[in-house]
Amino acid sequence: MEMDSNSNSDSNSNGGGGVAESDSGAEDLVESDSGWRPKHLLFTPYSPPTQTQTKSQSLRVVVRRPLVARLTKDIIETYQICNPQFRYSEELNPKRYLTTPSIGVLNDGFDNVNSDLILNVNYVLINLETQRRYIVKDVLGHGTFGQVAKCWAPDTSSFVAVKIIKNQTAYYQQALVEVSILTTLNKKYDPEDKHHVVRIYDYFVYQRHLCISFELLDSNLYELIKMNQFRGLSLSIVRLFSKQILHGLALLKDAGIIHCDLKPENILLCTGVDTTDLLKFSLGLPLFPGASEFDLLRRMIEILGGQPPDYLLKEAKNTNKFFKCIGSVHNIENGEVSAGIRSAYQALTEEEYEARELKKPSVGKEYFNHMNLEAIVTNYPYRKNLAKEDIIKESQIRLALIDFLRGLVEFDPAKRWSPFQASKHPFVTGEPFTCPYKPPPETPRLPVAQNIRVDHHPGGGHWFAAGLSPNIPGRNRVAMHNSPHFQVVPYAHTNSYGSIGSYGSYNDSTGLGSSYGSYGDTNSMYAYFSPVGPSGMNMHVPGNVSVLGSSPDSRRRIVHYSHGNGIGISPSAGNFAPLPLGTSPSQFTPPSSYGQVSAGSPGHYGPTSPARGSCHGSPLGKMAAVSQFNRRKGWAYPGGSHSQDSSSTNWQGQSADGTSSSQTEGNSQLLGNSPSHPLSNSNAARWKHHGGGSGISAGYPAIQSVPGFFALGSNMQYSHTGVTHDKQENSLALPDPGDWDPNYSDELLLQEDGSDLNCIATEFSKAMDLGSAEPSVEQGRFSHISGTSQRPNGPLQSFSRLEMGSVPSDAAHAGYSHLVSKPSHLMPHASQSSPSRLGQQHQRYSHGRPIAAVRGSDWNPMKVQPPPSGYNSGTGNSSFGSSMSWGNPGSIEPLYLLFEHCYLSPLVMD
Amino acid sequence: MENTTQESHLRSENSVTYESPYPLYSMALSSSSSQSRTRNHRIAVGSFIEEYANRVDLLSFDAETLTLTAHPELSFDHPYPPTKLMFHPSSVQKSFDVLASSGDYLRLWEVRDTSIEPISVLNNSKTSEFCAPLTSFDWNDVEPKRIGTSSIDTTCTVWDIEKGVVETQLIAHDKEVYDLAWGEARVFASVSADGSVRIFDLRDKEHSTIIYESPQPDTPLLRLAWNKQDLRYMATILMDSNKVVILDIRSPTTPVAELERHRASVNAIAWAPQSYRHICSAGDDTQALIWELPTVAGPSGIDPMSMYSAGAEINQLQWSAAQPDWISIAFANKMQLLKV
Repeated sequence: MEMDSNSNSDSNSNGGGGVAESDSGAEDLVESDSGWRPKHLLFTPYSPPTQTQTKSQSLRVVVRRPLVARLTKDIIETYQICNPQFRYSEELNPKRYLTTPSIGVLNDGFDNVNSDLILNVNYVLINLETQRRYIVKDVLGHGTFGQVAKCWAPDTSSFVAVKIIKNQTAYYQQALVEVSILTTLNKKYDPEDKHHVVRIYDYFVYQRHLCISFELLDSNLYELIKMNQFRGLSLSIVRLFSKQILHGLALLKDAGIIHCDLKPENILLCTGVDTTDLLKFSLGLPLFPGASEFDLLRRMIEILGGQPPDYLLKEAKNTNKFFKCIGSVHNIENGEVSAGIRSAYQALTEEEYEARELKKPSVGKEYFNHMNLEAIVTNYPYRKNLAKEDIIKESQIRLALIDFLRGLVEFDPAKRWSPFQASKHPFVTGEPFTCPYKPPPETPRLPVAQNIRVDHHPGGGHWFAAGLSPNIPGRNRVAMHNSPHFQVVPYAHTNSYGSIGSYGSYNDSTGLGSSYGSYGDTNSMYAYFSPVGPSGMNMHVPGNVSVLGSSPDSRRRIVHYSHGNGIGISPSAGNFAPLPLGTSPSQFTPPSSYGQVSAGSPGHYGPTSPARGSCHGSPLGKMAAVSQFNRRKGWAYPGGSHSQDSSSTNWQGQSADGTSSSQTEGNSQLLGNSPSHPLSNSNAARWKHHGGGSGISAGYPAIQSVPGFFALGSNMQYSHTGVTHDKQENSLALPDPGDWDPNYSDELLLQEDGSDLNCIATEFSKAMDLGSAEPSVEQGRFSHISGTSQRPNGPLQSFSRLEMGSVPSDAAHAGYSHLVSKPSHLMPHASQSSPSRLGQQHQRYSHGRPIAAVRGSDWNPMKVQPPPSGYNSGTGNSSFGSSMSWGNPGSIEPLYLLFEHCYLSPLVMD
Repeated sequence: MENTTQESHLRSENSVTYESPYPLYSMALSSSSSQSRTRNHRIAVGSFIEEYANRVDLLSFDAETLTLTAHPELSFDHPYPPTKLMFHPSSVQKSFDVLASSGDYLRLWEVRDTSIEPISVLNNSKTSEFCAPLTSFDWNDVEPKRIGTSSIDTTCTVWDIEKGVVETQLIAHDKEVYDLAWGEARVFASVSADGSVRIFDLRDKEHSTIIYESPQPDTPLLRLAWNKQDLRYMATILMDSNKVVILDIRSPTTPVAELERHRASVNAIAWAPQSYRHICSAGDDTQALIWELPTVAGPSGIDPMSMYSAGAEINQLQWSAAQPDWISIAFANKMQLLKV
C-alpha cells in the first residue's frame, strides 16, 4: 500500500521487529511526521500468536453473535426480541428508481413513456418458465433498444447483465435476432468461450419485455481510452487487444456474421485493467477523425496514400458524390485501367465537392498535420526517459504496426487481410518484424470457401466444383471485371485465387503451394498439385492424397481443428468449413493438422460426405495448412511431409495415391486417377450420402483434370454433371429466396438451430456454388497455376480464356469472397449444426440442408461474381437464379442489414 | 459532584475500568470538558439488554486522578439498545452538553451537570406503525447542526437538528445501511449490507461514488471510519471477517491495505485522532490492536504495532479527539480506558 508520508519506510518494520524490542527500543522506530506514536504501556509490542495460542484460539467457539452484528445485520431480530410487537417491512422502503422517467404510463403502468420497463433497485425479473430470478441492482446503460441492468442471479450466485428490451415489436424482433446470433456463436462456434464473444445465458419475456441475460463484463474500450485521457494505450496492450479482437472477428467470419458496429464502445473489457500500465502508445485518437463522409474519405486517401480500386468505385453507388471520372469507362470495363498506372477516378477537392453537392463539406480538425500513416506512427512521441535500446525496440514495433495497419486499412477488399491473416501478423504475434508481412493464404480460405462451395457441389462434392469449373467461362467474363484488379496485381494469379492476393504472395514464394491452396479450395486436387509441384514427391503424395486426400486432409484437418477447437472446427466444418479450415490450419497445426487432418479427414470425408460441408472446409483447410507450411518451411514440402506423417494411418494410403498423383500432376491422368481413386472411395460413400454421387465422381475427374488443364475441360463436363445434380437437389431443397427471408428471420429469432434455414441457405448456396463460383474460381486458379507452370498445356484454348476470365473472377471472387464469406457466415448460423459437421451434418445432409451451410458461404462468392448469372443461365437457371438472387441481394448486403439491426453483441476482451 | 464516586475495579496509572450492571455496547466521549470547573470529560455508555427498556449511563473521567465517576442521576432509559451514542462535536464551552443516540429514532438529549432532558425525537417515518431502525449516525463536526443517520430502509437521512427537519434523505444503498461517516461539511460515506462503500456529496445528490465493494458480493460492511487526519483514507470492516480494510478514495475498488492479524471477527475500528497513520481495531479475539500504516506493505502483510488483550470479546472502541491519549473499549459489561 502507499501512504503519503514523510517518515521513513523503516517504520514498517515495527510490526515484526517490535517483538524483540523493548519499549524503549520500539520508540526508536521512525516516527510518523505527526510525531505521535503509541507508547507501550498497556499495549505491548505485537507478537504473532504461537501455535498453541492458535490452537486454543481455533478451539474457541463463539456462540453469541458480535453485538455489532446484532445491531446491524440482525437488528430486526434484536428489536423483535426486545419488543415482540416490533414489526418491520421492507415493502415500505423508499424505492430507488433506476429508470427515467419513472412514471408508469404504458403497459398498465409498468412502462414509462419510452416503453421502458420501470426498474427500481431490487426489482425482480423472473423467467417464468424456469422460475429463475434476476434481482436488479443497477442500470448499466440504456439506449434505443432499452436498458441494461446489472442483476444478481441467486441461482448462480453471480451478477449478470440483463438487457431489457423495450416493449415495442420492432425492438423485440431485433433483439430476437441478436439472441439467435449470439446463441449460435456461443453454442456452435465458441462453446468453450475462447473467442472473446460475449456469452448469452438466458432470455425470457417478463412484463411484455424481452430480457436477455449476458455475462457481466467490465467497462468498454472507449472508456478505457477515455480514462487514459485519450493518450492512447501501450503497444503491448494494443497488441493484446488486436489479437483478441481478431480472434473474435475470425470466429464471426467463420460463422458468416458481419459485425456492423465494431467500435471501442462495443468492445468490453473482462476485468479491470490496471490503468497505470496503459499509457503510452497508440494515438488515442481516431486515425481518420472525419467530420463528414467527404472529410473521412479525404483523410483516408491522404493518410493512406491511395484510393479505392477502380472496380470498387465503378460499382459503388456514391462514387459520383466524391469522385470524378477522368478515365475512359470503356477502359474500366475492360479492366485495362486497373492494371494501369492511373485510376480512372479522382477524388473531388473540397471546392469541387462543394460545387457538386451545393454545400460545403464539414471538415474536422487536423490532428496529424497532413501526415501519412507512416509518419503518424513514426513521429508519435516516444515515452519520456526511454532507454535507447528501448526506443530502438519500440521503433521496430512501430514499423510492424505500420505494416499491420496497412494491411487492415487496405482499400481493396480483395487484398485486405482477413481477421485470421491479420492475426498472424508479427505485430500481433510478437515475432520480430523483418519485412513486409505476407499473409498466409487464408484468403484462400475465402476462396476456399468458394472452393468449398465447389466442395459443396462436390459435397456432393468438391468434385462438383470441378464440374463448376465448366461454368467458369461465364464467370470468367464476369470475373473479368474484377480481373483488372488482379491483373494489376503482380500476384494476380495468386490473387485471383482468392483474396487471392495473399495467395499470390504465397504462391510466389511457394508457387505451387499457394496456387494449391486456392486450387485446393476449389478442388482438393489443386492443392495437391501445387504441393506436388513444389515439394515434388512429398507434396505430391499429399497432393494426390489431397485431391482426394488433400481435400480430405484439409477437411480432416479442419475437422481436427474443429475437434481441437471444439467449436471452431465443427462449426467451420459445417458451415464454413472453408473458413475454419483456413483458420485452423493457419492458426496452428498446419503441420500436425496435416497429419491429423489426414487421419480425420478420411473420417470426415466419409462422414462428411456430408462432406460437402466438410469437404469444402477441408479443401480450405488444406489450403491454409499448405500455405502455412509453405511459409513456415518455405515450402509445401514440409506441409507435405506433415501431412504424410500425420495422415500416415488412413491417409498414407491415400497419400501414396497422392504422391502418385502429384507426380501425376505433370500427368493429368495420374492425378486424375489417383485422386479419383481415393476420392472415389471415400467420396463414394459420402457422395452417396449426398446423393450427388455422380457429382462427386465428376468432381474427382475434374480435379484430376484440373491438374492438367485438360482437366479443366473434364471439369467442365463434370461440373456440369455435378452441377446439374446439385441443382436438382438444390432446387428441390431450396426454397425461394422470398421464402427465405421470413424463415430466416424467424429462425434467427428464436431457434437455436437454424438447421432448416441453414439447409435452405445451404441448398441455395449449393446451387449457387454449383452454378457459378466454384467453376470459375477453379478454372481461373487452375489456369493461373497452369498458366504459370503449364500454360502451354493447360492453357488450352478454353483455358486461356478461363485464365483470363478466371483470374479476374478469382480476384473478384477474392474480393467478393471476403464479402461473401461473411454473408456465408450468416448462413452458417443457420447451419449452426454444421459445427458438429460429422454428426450433425450428416443429419443435415439427410435433411439435405446441411450442405446448404457450406453453400451459403459459397453463395456469397457466387453472388459476388457476376459470372454466376452466366452460370445460372448456363446451368440450372432456376436454382441458380434463386441462389444468385440471394447472393447478390441477400448474400452481402442483406446480411449486413440484418446484422446492423441485430446489434451483434460486443466482443469480449480478456 | 456526587459523593458516590465509584472507583474502577481495576486501576493502574495506565488504565481505568468501569463495570456496569449490564452488557455495554454503545459508548461516547465528550469532546469538551463541559463543566467549567473541572477538566473532567463525560462518557456515556449504552446498555445492550434484550428488552425494550435499555439504559444510558453517564460517567465523568478525570485524567489527572484516573478516576471514573458515575452519575446515576444522569442515567436515563432508552428504548431498545442504543446503536450509537455521540456527544456534540463542538468543543466550545457551553453550560450543557448535547448527547445524541440512535435506535428506533434519532434522539437528542441535553446533559447538564445534574440533570438530563430529552430535546427531541427525530422521526422521518411516514407511518406510525412501522419504523426503520437506525443502525448508526454521525455528527458533522464541521457543520454541527448536521447529523446523518443510516437506516435499514436503505436510506441515509441528513437532519438539521437546529431546525429539527430533514435536510435530505438519500436512498443510499441497495440494502440496509449500517454505518455512516462525515468527511466534510457536505460529504459523507456509508457502508451497507450490499457490500459497498459509497461517498455522497450533498451538492450532487443524484450520484454517489462507490469506492469499494466487498469481494464476496453482498457481504455486509458493518462499520466505517473516516480518517479525520487525512481524509483520503477510510477504514471499514466486513461482517464475520478478521480483516480491517483500508481504502484510499483516490483508488477506488482496490484497498490500499488489509489488516489481517485479528484471530476472530473485528467489531470496531477507530483512527487515531492525532496521527493520520495509526488506527486501532478490536474484535472477538479479545484484542485491541494498534496499527501503523506503512508506506509499503511487506509481502507477508502488515503486523500491528502493539496489542492489548481484554478479558472478553471487545464490542466497542472509541478514540476521542478530546482525549487522544486514551482509547476506550467496551467488552462484556465493562468499559475500559487505556492509555496509549
